[in-house]
This record gives sequence, structure tokens and C-alpha cells, in this order.
Amino acid sequence: MNPFRAAIAVARKDLVSEWRTREMVPALAQFVVLALLIGNFGFQIDSRNAPSIAPGILWLALVFAGLIAFGRTFAAEREQSSLEAMLMTPASPVAIFAGKAIAASVLLILCEVVMLPALSLFFGTPFSGDLVIAVLLATIGMASLGCLFAAIVARVRARELLLPLLTLPLWIPFIVAGGQAVQSAMGLPGSYDQAIGLLIDFDILFVVLTSLAARFVLDE
Amino acid sequence: MNRLEKASVGAVALMLLAGAAIFFYAPTDFLQGPVQRIFYLHVSSAIAAYGCFAVVLLGGAIFLRTENYAADRWARAGALVGVVFTTVTLVMGMLWAKKVWGAFWVWDARLTSTLVLWIIYAGYLLVRRLSEPGRQAARLAAVVGIFGFVDVPVVHFSVTWWVTHHPGPVIINDALPAQMLATFLFTMFCTIVLAAVMITIRYRIETLMDMKQLIAGPVHVVITREPGGVAGPVQ
Repeated sequence: MNPFRAAIAVARKDLVSEWRTREMVPALAQFVVLALLIGNFGFQIDSRNAPSIAPGILWLALVFAGLIAFGRTFAAEREQSSLEAMLMTPASPVAIFAGKAIAASVLLILCEVVMLPALSLFFGTPFSGDLVIAVLLATIGMASLGCLFAAIVARVRARELLLPLLTLPLWIPFIVAGGQAVQSAMGLPGSYDQAIGLLIDFDILFVVLTSLAARFVLDE
Repeated sequence: MNRLEKASVGAVALMLLAGAAIFFYAPTDFLQGPVQRIFYLHVSSAIAAYGCFAVVLLGGAIFLRTENYAADRWARAGALVGVVFTTVTLVMGMLWAKKVWGAFWVWDARLTSTLVLWIIYAGYLLVRRLSEPGRQAARLAAVVGIFGFVDVPVVHFSVTWWVTHHPGPVIINDALPAQMLATFLFTMFCTIVLAAVMITIRYRIETLMDMKQLIAGPVHVVITREPGGVAGPVQ
């Protein structure tokens, strides 16, 4: 069975089920708007300090939205015990994992589609292609790690507790490099190209590692 | 006294000797004064912690390949002892930093990556506590341990372009006087011995706990089809 087609089929299944229920995307969009609102009240934001505060709010909102999105990745499979059935098909565990990761990152990207314009709208920070590229590159790596650990904690008690504890430390490289890239895209000092280069390196490293590890996490 | 008890007594005696060397043999640092004596145990326990996490990595990798439960028990023991030594490193480093840099904490590359190291392996221990003991928990924890080990150099590298406060390697470029170097090497040796003894004791405890589970616990959790494990009864 062609692993790429299997992965696309799994991703399609997840996205179709999301399209039919329309649960996650509206919830995530509302969550990030609320996070921006809290950022607004937590800081005294004006036009001068907005570029130095907005990147922090962006990453906080994105990271916690990501935790919500990935925490739900295996929820349907768990509730209906369909993961075992999926694993009994000839599709390889890696392809199933890749499909899940693709679907989760599409959901997170949809949430970014709401968040990035809202950030510029509320805080008056520049909205640029550089900003979008930095956030998208970080999303790829974060999605692969987030999905792997979502699969790990899906079989553990207190999974809501463990997912942030395990995932956040591993996301730090993406937040360091992505934070740097977003800051320079918003006009703060720092090398944008170096940060983007690092993001690409981390993406490659963690996508390869998670694909190798997926076999051990899903196989049963 | 059994062998483990003898080893523990030996390790404690070595640590006391190292303490004597730190306080009475090593000269006082000209610039920093007595507080520099933290250096010996601080760096030694950091190295010991890396060693412990290497045990977690190796144990996890071997378990994933061979399903040998002894490897998993070594990994569990290494994680616990490693977290202890990382805590020692962090606390001593913070005390030293307060005196020398004027603040308990700065967001330097090495401090950040050590903190991440601590968080990851504390998470590893939590995974073990929160998941049903058995094959699944061991496999999941092995993956966490391997990712943790990979992540730390990555975090370190990604933060290094920020200003770094932490002194570079002083041992390699001959910056230490001979007496200090001798004290450091001796303390490092003693700390590594202590860590090894602690891991061995913990390994023994984990083995006993696995056996207890085998006798008293629900049968399904220890069933393994592969040889080499704490093989349980097959259904």
C-alpha cells in the first residue's frame, strides 16, 4: 500500500470529520482571539511597545492553541477505539501518524489564518509574508512533535496533564528560532535569515526523528 | 553487608574525601574567593547527570530493539538519579550565580538547556508514574527519553546566539592551576562513582518492584511474548 496515499487518506478522513462537525476550528479561533484579548489587558500596549510585546502574545496563543489541537488529535480514535482498527489495515503506522499530523497542522494553520490578521488588527503590528513564513515553518515541526506526543499520552491516564509537560520543552527550539524570526519580521533587531535557516533545520531534524519514532508509539 | 551496602559505604567515603579535597586541598580562587569551591561539585554533578541520561537513552534504545525489560529498568533508574543530579547542578549553580553574577537566574544557553533537561526527565518520570506499568509504558518512556536526549543539544545550540554569561570550558584550555585540576578530577571521579552506585541500587529496587507486580499485580501488565524480559505467564 502506497504510504503517501495512506497518509493522505487518513488526513482526509480527519479533515472531513472536522468539516462535518465543525468543532475544532471555531473553538481554536475563538481561543486565540481570547488570548489576544487577555494579552491586551495584561500589558499596557500602545503603538510604541506593540512590536516588542506582540511576538510574545503570538507564541503564547499559538503554543496553547497547538496543545488543544494536538490533544484532540487522537480523541476520536480513543472514544471509538478505531485506532486499533486503523492499525490492522495494511497501512504502515508511520503513514497513519503522518496523516494525523497533516490533519492537525491544517487545523492549526486555519487557526493561524485567524490569529495573524487579528494580531495586526488589534495591535497595529506589520503583517508581512516574512511573518507568515516564520509561523508556518514553526508549525510543521511543532505539529510533528505534538502529534507524536499526543499519540504517546493517548494511552496514559491524566493525558491532559502530561501533553503540555512533555511537548512544551521539546517545542522550545521552535519558539526560540520562531520568536527570533517573528521579532525581526516585526522590525526588531536580529537576523531573520539565520532564524529561518534554523527553523528549517529543526523541521527536518524533528520530522525525520518523529517518523522514525512513530513506529514504536503506534505499533501494537 | 551485601555488595550494594559495601558499594554505598565506599561511595559515601569517596564523597567525604572529595569534600575534604575541595575545602582543604584546593586553593582559594583569587577573584571569586571561597564561593568558587562550588565549581567542583557543580560541574561534576552536571557530568554525572549527562552520564545518567546516557543510560536512559541506551536503555530505551535497547528496550525498543530487544524488548529486554532489564534495559528498561536501567533506563528508569538512570532517569531518577539523573534528575537528582540535575537538581543538584541547578541549585548549586544558582547559589554561585547569585554571588558572582548578582542574580539567581539568567537566560543563558547552558542554564536554559539544563532547565529543559530537568523538565524533560521529570516529565519522563511522570510518564512512568501515570501510565500502567508494562510493555506500552516502557516503549512510550523510551521514546520520551530518546527525544529528551536529542532536544538538549538543540536547545543549547538555538540559544547560543544570545549573550552567554556562562564561562566556557575552563578545563580544556589549561585555565586551571594544577591543584584545582586535581581536586576537580578527583571530585568528578567520586561523583560518577556515587551516581553509578545510586543507579545500581535503584535498578535493584525497580527489579524488586517488577517482581512484586508479577506476583501481586494484574497479570496482563507483565505478559511478554519475547524472551529476556521479566516474562510473565502467557494467557
